[in-house]
Amino acid sequence: MKNPLSRRSVIGRISAVVAGVLAAPAAKAAKAVTQKLLVSADAPKDYDPTKHKWLMAIDANRCIGCGLCAEACKKENRVPEGPYFRTWVERYIITKPKPGSGAARGETLVDCPNGGINGYPEAPVLKEEIQHSFFVPKLCNLCQHSPCVQVCPVGATFDAPDGAVLIDPKYCIGCGFCIQACPYGCRFLSPVTKTAEKCTLCYHRITRGLKPACVEVCPTQARIFGDLKNPKPDDPLERFYRDNLVVTLKPHLGTEPRLLYAGIDKEVR
Amino acid sequence: MRRLFKMPPQLIRICLLAVGIVAAYSIASYFLTPASFGEYGWYRGAALAEMATRDRVYAGMKACEECHSDESQKLMKHEHKSLACESCHGPGEAHAKDPRKDNVEKSSFATCLRCHEANPSRPKWHKQIVIKNHYTGSKCTECHVPHSPSEVP
Repeated sequence: MKNPLSRRSVIGRISAVVAGVLAAPAAKAAKAVTQKLLVSADAPKDYDPTKHKWLMAIDANRCIGCGLCAEACKKENRVPEGPYFRTWVERYIITKPKPGSGAARGETLVDCPNGGINGYPEAPVLKEEIQHSFFVPKLCNLCQHSPCVQVCPVGATFDAPDGAVLIDPKYCIGCGFCIQACPYGCRFLSPVTKTAEKCTLCYHRITRGLKPACVEVCPTQARIFGDLKNPKPDDPLERFYRDNLVVTLKPHLGTEPRLLYAGIDKEVR
Repeated sequence: MRRLFKMPPQLIRICLLAVGIVAAYSIASYFLTPASFGEYGWYRGAALAEMATRDRVYAGMKACEECHSDESQKLMKHEHKSLACESCHGPGEAHAKDPRKDNVEKSSFATCLRCHEANPSRPKWHKQIVIKNHYTGSKCTECHVPHSPSEVP
């Protein structure tokens, strides 16, 4: 400490500062390299998720149960063979009450063989015993308070700003918590990727200006799809609100589904 | 400086350990947090762009209309106007990229029956047939034109 400004100490201090300045970009470069190794991201496209709000609505009065939507979804999203569906069509049969029972309706029978893709077998009850019967297409309910997002331990599933609830397949560890949490049964563990999968609203299609595959092929326009932030002139969604009384599924759970239904019975869960 | 060294050595070790853990955590999180994390929320923002880059299988009606506008215009005038080309003809992206006759599905008897076979669960407004009573042949197109159902060939 006799001579604090010796030549050696000055050079030492200067080089320490220079090293510090050089270390920052080196660290940044190293960070970029590590992240490239961990996750390789494709170039982002000319699509801003904050400028859209996609929404689907289902008019069950128009569903004829052809199963084209479920088939198209399987093909478009390469959903594995077997009982795995991102969208499916359920058949509800409500029977007439037994004479003298005093009940308003009989039993409610629900079936969905292979998601409705191959049609439905003959009704398990005679035609004369059916009080009311109809088809209900099901898919992700696009909850605003999604139970699936809340339980994910690794932050792999999330509410995208454009209204879709998505899964990051590179971060999903396949624990299955979200599959148990979803009250609508809309998720499954893929036997191929071993990660959770679900309806993405055909994210690869809607970002390119196309309709989701199920909406595209629906022959009766039972599925209505639109962008709430960029409504078209005579928007199909707007028409849907205007012409129907809309409900959501399981409102008592507080999940606040954004997916809207029209023309469904109280038995639909 | 002297004061610090009066701290018991075990406490100093604990302090050093704590500082080391925090430093290791911050260095790890600096290097391992994805660049796009937090772009839109508590998740990797690049996942959205990755999701959007998947290949499609259904081309969409606009792609069909590029070559088959005459058929689509015909379709738009009749009862089947709510149908898309790919409702009956199957996924068309492969055909749109490389138009050949053999890479698009052939519609058949089953295609028509998929929607029009009588079923008590189907809504009443929808036209349905009991195939046994309606027709015993194998070609609906003998009597019906799918692109304009009201037309009689």
